Amino acid sequence: MGQVIDLAVSAILLAGLYATMAYGLGLIYGVLRIVNLNHGGMIMVGAYAGWWLHFKYGIDPYLSLIPVSAAAFVLGVLVYRVLVRRLPRGAAGGVQSLLLLFGVWLVLRNAAYLLFTGNDQTIRTAYSTRAISLAGAFLSVNRVAVFGLALVVLFALHMLLTRTYLGKAIRAVAQNPDSCTLVGVPVERIYALTFGLGTALAALAGLLAATLFPFSPEFGATELLKSFVVVVLGGLGSVAGTAIAALILATVEVFAILALPSYLTASVGFVLLVLVLVIRPGGLFGQRVLG
Amino acid sequence: MKRVLPVWVRPRAVLVAGIGAAVLALLPFFHSNRYWHNQITETMLAVVAALAWNWLGGYLGQVSFGHAAMFGLGGFVAARFQASLGLPMIPAWIVAGIVAGLYALVWGHPTLRLRGPYFSIATIGVGEATRLICTYWVWLTGGSSGMSLPVQIQLKYQLYWYALALALLALAASYALRRSPLGLSLLAIKSDVDAAGDVGVSSVRLQDLVLFISGMTMGICGGFYASYYSFIEPGDMFGFSRSISFVLMGVIGGIGTIAGPAVGALIYVLLRNALLASYPQLYLGLYGLLLILVILFEPLGLTGLFLRVFHRKRPDLGVTGVAAEDSAAPATGVTPAPAEQRGAK
Amino acid sequence: MTAILRAEGLSKRFGGLKANDNVTLALEERQILGLIGPNGAGKTTCFSMLAGSIPPSAGRVFLGEQEITGLPAFRVARAGVVRTHQIVRPFANLTLMENCTVAAAQCSGRDDAGSRELAREMLQFVGLEKRRNEYPGGLTLAGRKKLEMARALSCSPKALLLDEVIAGVNPVEARDMVTLIRRIRDEKGISILMIEHVMAAVMSLCEHVVVLDAGKLIAAGAPKEIVQNPAVVEAYLGKKHA
Repeated sequence: MGQVIDLAVSAILLAGLYATMAYGLGLIYGVLRIVNLNHGGMIMVGAYAGWWLHFKYGIDPYLSLIPVSAAAFVLGVLVYRVLVRRLPRGAAGGVQSLLLLFGVWLVLRNAAYLLFTGNDQTIRTAYSTRAISLAGAFLSVNRVAVFGLALVVLFALHMLLTRTYLGKAIRAVAQNPDSCTLVGVPVERIYALTFGLGTALAALAGLLAATLFPFSPEFGATELLKSFVVVVLGGLGSVAGTAIAALILATVEVFAILALPSYLTASVGFVLLVLVLVIRPGGLFGQRVLG
Repeated sequence: MKRVLPVWVRPRAVLVAGIGAAVLALLPFFHSNRYWHNQITETMLAVVAALAWNWLGGYLGQVSFGHAAMFGLGGFVAARFQASLGLPMIPAWIVAGIVAGLYALVWGHPTLRLRGPYFSIATIGVGEATRLICTYWVWLTGGSSGMSLPVQIQLKYQLYWYALALALLALAASYALRRSPLGLSLLAIKSDVDAAGDVGVSSVRLQDLVLFISGMTMGICGGFYASYYSFIEPGDMFGFSRSISFVLMGVIGGIGTIAGPAVGALIYVLLRNALLASYPQLYLGLYGLLLILVILFEPLGLTGLFLRVFHRKRPDLGVTGVAAEDSAAPATGVTPAPAEQRGAK
Repeated sequence: MTAILRAEGLSKRFGGLKANDNVTLALEERQILGLIGPNGAGKTTCFSMLAGSIPPSAGRVFLGEQEITGLPAFRVARAGVVRTHQIVRPFANLTLMENCTVAAAQCSGRDDAGSRELAREMLQFVGLEKRRNEYPGGLTLAGRKKLEMARALSCSPKALLLDEVIAGVNPVEARDMVTLIRRIRDEKGISILMIEHVMAAVMSLCEHVVVLDAGKLIAAGAPKEIVQNPAVVEAYLGKKHA
């Protein structure tokens, strides 16, 4: 029983990370109708950025969240302005945007190999190995911190989307970009900002993940797939939906340890993805609206 | 004079292919450079794989990021059947191909209901899941440390001609799949799968067909690879990097064209081997860059560039979803000029 | 006389919404039958069920004596029932000629040369033969509608389902279309079931009209009777005008 509680708590903590990770992907798809295949790349970039700042300058990874996210935001806007904007929107652009962003991911991956070698890295801080006691369970400080930060970020996102003008504009563009141009909403700018925001969220999640798991330039592929599972399950935009879907994924993964040998648990996410995509054909991502 | 070939086969194409094949077949008797002999063998294998990928990714427009699943499966099935069950090489390849083709059907048939990007994402999942599951299916793959085949002297040298034969077959299949009436149906499916059904095209069946032969060919490539290197391991065979290589060869060479992916394969192998010594990972980044440039400026990749340079009509292959403006097309002028096939060898 | 195409009690549910409720209609041989009704009445859904694009929730469809209920679209097309689309869907990456050749090859059972001959014939029939090597993107809307008709005709259908081919084109083109539709029936002997909003066309082309409203068949008869039918007027204009 104790093990079940441990696993349950693990699942909850992990869900926070997954929700944050998935949200950026869902945001970009919901507003721009583009599948950001560079999502994995940005997760990797976030991880390395945090690692490097810690390694070179001793900055605590949780403190470098803001600068790393900000830099990623700028990078995202750049990628949009320079590359993505040139593609035709909609069905015609579908596979092309996929391949384009995939190309960006490849370039980033290679850059990481060149700069940091292919070895696994970890971020080890003074408190990495410490655990705190909560309701009888021992929880790693990092996991709790990641969960807490994830909650903060998700809450901030929710506030942004529901209470600010920008948030409302984003939701409007997601619903009906043509009408938005008619009423004076700067659609292209919203696209760029949203892409930047989604990119920043990916990097942020990557940084958080880097404090928990070892990573290499290959980091991000698995996370991309998991993000997809969450987005497809949870629908677009609604933070609550994303959170629940993240919880489902995390729970399945964590409890799979009970049933499956350890090496197969990683494949659970993939199998889940393929199953989810196949069982909900057609309007998968739906025409759901942010809110 | 009675026509022996179907009406959609251009005699010039057959001639070019025949001459090219004859040259390559006889070449080894005029030199003893092992390095280049092997380079050509590897290139021809890459050509087969790239062409097979293109049947699904280019002709049907369903880009797969997980084709290494069939490659790896074929490789290990062939290896295992030879090593443990004593099957001779060619039958082992055939078995490997059939298993791989069937596997492609298993995951592909339901998944092809998804269109465009969603299918592609699913293929990433398939590729990775296959890799993980097979890595630990020790009987099949020998675990993460991989599996060896008994080394046969001279086999590697002789595989050159097997590769040539496979490349010719693959090229012929590419040509047939495109220029035959079947090819027209595939293009229709690529354009609008439902409207195709409305005019009598059995979309599901044809998609399954392409899935199977694409997977089967990949499986045979895997079997060849195993025989060629005498040692294979799951991380490499099933790896995401390998799946990526197929995408790159196809897209940069010319997605949807008949022989474009062959050109892509040629460049890919040459570049990779040239850079391997100095910058092992650089070629991937370079390819990422090329991919970006191709998508932004020339969706038909190197083939498109070639056609532009020579002012030939650029076929509209539904790559961009927008019809070509050039309306001075010959009656069934959807195929790129045969000149481009010369560049494939 | 057995009708060419017959629907019996056709119904379709989408979740809680009943798009078609117990629709029964019959398209006689060499007849031009009009299917009209206000927006959202379920006309295209009915078409889709007849052509096999979607399976009915209940009811049956017959082509002559042969039951074709629930058959996939490609089988229905090959059997002889072909539809066009409300929003035209040409194969953008194929020339006009190729658009029709595909249809001819799949449905007519002819060989390669025969299919192309048939395709060319149909393109000539609709007046697009000179542009057969162009792509659909270069055509006007009317041109693309004609292309879809040529493509459908290349299937050598027994029954042709036209979904709003006249709506959206200018009056000159509309007159062209009306003539074309009549020729399809007169010269090729193909029975036509057409959804249409342009009443003038319905009046001049259709011998018989059925009216759908909110998924139900509310009236059937000659065009002149239908326009005077109070239920029909009410469906279109509301109670005040009945």
